[in-house]
Amino acid sequence: MSSEPIERRVSYIGDRLRGCRCTNCGREYFGFREYCGDCGRASMGKIQDIDFLHEEAVLESCTIVREPTNRFMKLAPFVFGVFSFHDGKVRVPGRVTDILLRDGADATTFEGKRAVPRFRRRCSVGESDIIQTLSLAFSMSDDYYPYQPYEKTPSGKEHQAPGVVGWGAYTSKFRIKEGRMERSVPFLDEDATTAAVESVKLALVQSGVDGSSMQKIYAGSESNPYAVKPLASKVAQVLELGRRELGGVQGIDAIDTQFACKPATSMFKDAASLVYYLSPRSQTPQYAVVVGTDNSQAAPRGTLGGELDFFVGYGGVSFIFGTHDVAAEVEDWYSCTSDTPDFWRRDTQRFPRHGGRFTGEPAYFKHVEKAAKGLMEKMHMTAADYAYFVPHQPNVGFPMRVAKKLGFKEEQVLPGLAVAKFGNLYSGSSPIGLAAVLDKAKPDERIMLVGYGSGAGSDAYSFMTTQDILTKRERQKFTIEKQMNSEHLEYIDYHTYRRFKAGL
Amino acid sequence: MRNAHAAIVGIGRTKFGEHYEIEPERLIDAAGLAALNAAGVERKDLEGVYFANHFLQITNKIGLEEGFMSELLELHVSMETMRCFSSALHNAINALKAGHCKIALVGGVEKMTDRSDKIRDDLMLLDCQWSYFAGGTPEANHELMLREYIKKYRLSQTDQDQLMIALAQISVKNHYYGSMNECAQFYGRKITIDDVLRERKAAGKSLGLYDFAPISDGATALILVKPELASSYTEKPIYVTGYSSATDFISYPSREDRSAFLSTRLASERALRMAGTEIQNIGIAEVCDPSTVSELNALEDLGFLRKGDAWRSIYKSYQDGTWFCETDSGPLFVNTNGGCKADGSPLGAKGGAHIIEIVTQMRNEAGSRQIKGDIELTQGIALEHEGFGTKSYVHVLTRE
Repeated sequence: MSSEPIERRVSYIGDRLRGCRCTNCGREYFGFREYCGDCGRASMGKIQDIDFLHEEAVLESCTIVREPTNRFMKLAPFVFGVFSFHDGKVRVPGRVTDILLRDGADATTFEGKRAVPRFRRRCSVGESDIIQTLSLAFSMSDDYYPYQPYEKTPSGKEHQAPGVVGWGAYTSKFRIKEGRMERSVPFLDEDATTAAVESVKLALVQSGVDGSSMQKIYAGSESNPYAVKPLASKVAQVLELGRRELGGVQGIDAIDTQFACKPATSMFKDAASLVYYLSPRSQTPQYAVVVGTDNSQAAPRGTLGGELDFFVGYGGVSFIFGTHDVAAEVEDWYSCTSDTPDFWRRDTQRFPRHGGRFTGEPAYFKHVEKAAKGLMEKMHMTAADYAYFVPHQPNVGFPMRVAKKLGFKEEQVLPGLAVAKFGNLYSGSSPIGLAAVLDKAKPDERIMLVGYGSGAGSDAYSFMTTQDILTKRERQKFTIEKQMNSEHLEYIDYHTYRRFKAGL
Repeated sequence: MRNAHAAIVGIGRTKFGEHYEIEPERLIDAAGLAALNAAGVERKDLEGVYFANHFLQITNKIGLEEGFMSELLELHVSMETMRCFSSALHNAINALKAGHCKIALVGGVEKMTDRSDKIRDDLMLLDCQWSYFAGGTPEANHELMLREYIKKYRLSQTDQDQLMIALAQISVKNHYYGSMNECAQFYGRKITIDDVLRERKAAGKSLGLYDFAPISDGATALILVKPELASSYTEKPIYVTGYSSATDFISYPSREDRSAFLSTRLASERALRMAGTEIQNIGIAEVCDPSTVSELNALEDLGFLRKGDAWRSIYKSYQDGTWFCETDSGPLFVNTNGGCKADGSPLGAKGGAHIIEIVTQMRNEAGSRQIKGDIELTQGIALEHEGFGTKSYVHVLTRE
């Protein structure tokens, strides 16, 4: 229905909930205008742009929509209502998301509650259409995803080596539990792009880094809903990464990367190198962010490639790299590659296929071991020199086996093993393990991360934590631990899981 | 007549409902012909045509409606298209007063069922884009308004129960009148309170099927002349003595008071002042009722009943099955054609049905649903909305 120019304008305002404020009288509006209705001509030139993406709203009144308009069929039933920001200065329509309404649900129980705007897919669209998005979707603040203000903090100490200054991991509220394994399942309106936005938002909140000082975003995914069209650009636009230029343009380089499960880990060294190069040449600290995000794809059980359906998860993980207030310095890295077709997805195919037994020894183990050993050789170290070992984790067995083969003990691996709680996050698989370790590690501990991507290749990194890790951690309520064991997790059956995976 | 701005000398309409076989231009033709015939006017005598449809461009891919009208009427006079019947009537009155013409055809048509599978998307998008994008539906807005109303007036659970019954009574009342209106979509279809409650329960929310007007096809028309010419066309002219409109923000959430329609109150005050009358003098009201909530609200916004209190009067008045509302100034008859609920709701034409009903009742020609007793119907008021209270048009009609 919307043509592309209309969609650009709608999402430009709606994705970030842009508005404006009269600096004369303080009146606020949703959307843009040049003129305050109260101050009249006195307000001309005194209207300031604001936005509500990082604000908390109140759901004032609501009802249940059971018979939605055509494009919202898959989302129904849902709660729809009037949300207000800033004590009623601005009111917007909105939909409550991340809730499976039970029969007999009473919408009025939601009224008066606080809510967080969430960047989500807006509604169903045709297969070849632009994917419509909007942040007029809200989750309740007392639910799984807490409200956290975004407080930009001035950067402090400069470090010798570049490294991770902030991290954010986002997994959804919904889980499927089969046997001992729990897996994160996207809500209907979530996809790789929305998880990417959430994870970068969380990393910004945790680090306090001013998004406008971001120089580059690398978004790694193998489930970008577009074959052609970056998701990095969406993240940059929604979160206003890079300097804000005229015409709705952000002064940042945004790039999508792809290499099965390692498009994010591959770029860590690029991000670190970039900021290491830029910072001495700039007045202010410079940052780059790397995202690994996937709505991990798997064919339905019983079909070709359906074995993956027991393992796939959903989530996005981001790391902000910089040279100031570094929580974990990048010490060294080693990467290796070979042309090994162990897992692939042809263009136009919805689901990937894999080489069965071939994905083990000649693929995962060969490359992970090679990279880990290469790094240790390069650094003249042994397994005992690392406090933590975080390998790519497509299942529980592979990482444990490879750790043992490399001489790591269980206690070095278990803290960074998140796959049993979230499933295989593909591009976010080893990254969420690293995030889990950063959530727990003490200062001056060495971490080895080994990413793996089918096709095939591995990236091994050595990180060394610093004192700053302690202060960073205090700023994040939505930790990996919280996401693993939240009381708000909602477990769904296989049928619902397939429906959610397919999305809008 | 003092204060008369224009006179209605002929009326015509089609049945509302689904007109599967009939094109929109044939619908308006039928209504227009009936009005011309009733007024004894030839097509060639028309000096202007004011015509309304809400979204024929979307539902039937028909634009430049005036060209169709010109071809049907074989006329080349000034013609204009508006979005609702009341707006067409407003503009026709203005044209008459300005001396552009002495006799005009005012008409409205809508053909909604041709697009029934997409029509709620269209309506919501046109009502407010952002609400549509956020998942809103036309019905949801009425339910939100009901919530705002309940909260604003701090209604207790007992009060709320009565309010919900009052809303059901409104629907039953409209079906009662509609059952006697041969042109109504639900002619012959009375319902009970239990029907309304059952549908609400089935819908799993506050308002159900019988709280909302249907989608409809249909057309209405009238012949409007300068007041001084009225007697040469009919013995029973009905005069427009007051008319006004007001506008509100397109996005409902951003309106200051979401428990009522500001535009209705403003338009009503101005139209009554223009007519030199007061709401207490009015015995019949035809109001826009896409939902039972909007009829309740209209009675407050127009000034018949106190704010936050209308449901009490309605609940008491309608309990004994005498379908008029007791107000401080006496009995008030509301939507005796069945309202949008039972008569039908073809957007461009429904305002015409309001006006036509008042004219018919004032002329004592309403047959089995004629308002009887010692009530002297000399003044009536018609309210029409565009969008969700985004525009309100009020006309005050007076009989000699």
